[in-house]
Amino acid sequence: MVLTARSLRVDARVGALAEVRTFIRSAAADAGAPAECLEDLVQAVDEAATNTIVHGYDGAPGWIEVGAGLEDDRFVIRMEDAAPEFDPTSVPEPDMSISPMDRRPGGMGVHLIRACTDTMSYRPRPGGGNILTLVRATGPDWTKEG
Amino acid sequence: MALTTTTEEVAGRVPITVLALDGELDASNFERLIVEVSGLYDRGTRNLLVDLGGLTFLASSGLVALHSIVRILHGERPDDLDSGWDVLHHLGHDAATGDEMQREVQLAAPPPAVARVLQRTGMDRLFVIHEGRDAAIAAF
Repeated sequence: MVLTARSLRVDARVGALAEVRTFIRSAAADAGAPAECLEDLVQAVDEAATNTIVHGYDGAPGWIEVGAGLEDDRFVIRMEDAAPEFDPTSVPEPDMSISPMDRRPGGMGVHLIRACTDTMSYRPRPGGGNILTLVRATGPDWTKEG
Repeated sequence: MALTTTTEEVAGRVPITVLALDGELDASNFERLIVEVSGLYDRGTRNLLVDLGGLTFLASSGLVALHSIVRILHGERPDDLDSGWDVLHHLGHDAATGDEMQREVQLAAPPPAVARVLQRTGMDRLFVIHEGRDAAIAAF
């Protein structure tokens, strides 16, 4: 069970993304995240929320809940929604040897989530929907592992 | 923070349109940016400098916009957003020599967080990226 220091619930619309970013920026800053790591966490959460809104709900009404807080030596973010089940950890890494002009231009969201966090784990939400957990280790200096 | 754009025509070695972005470029506004650049192209812009100095956040949807902007400046249609962004496109770059860097659209002054997004996604291979606006204008 992830202990969340705080949480935010928003309607699943792209207009709510700025509020989600403000929330996670504030939560990470309060937890002591240095600037570069803070921007990484904002990026990861924005990309995950965007995927849920654009591809998950796909225009249907819905909600996203984001919880974030320190758990021992890790900063843990849990994102929950009621969109159709989709496991982003199943998305393959893009082939970076292909020219960026020829690559799928929209396929970078999950790649950025991986680049900005230490672990991304997924499980279906009981009763329908998705739970995505993003983790960044906090020490030393919140440097990304690996 | 919303996204605001300002455009300026500059007479360099060639006529250049400078498009300055201020704020956050995300899924809520990237399509508006594509429409705006389509309008610039229709009104004659053929060399575009995108000044990223005021950009505080760049989402992957913003990368879709940058990708589309290159297509527009090459006289092609922007990416088909209705197809779930799941599209493949080919421009006339020389894949054999690896020379994929086009010069019609160039970037200036990306803040560190924005530069990291460009680097992590390989989009920095598509653009000449200048530290500042003046150097960029001189380089067109």
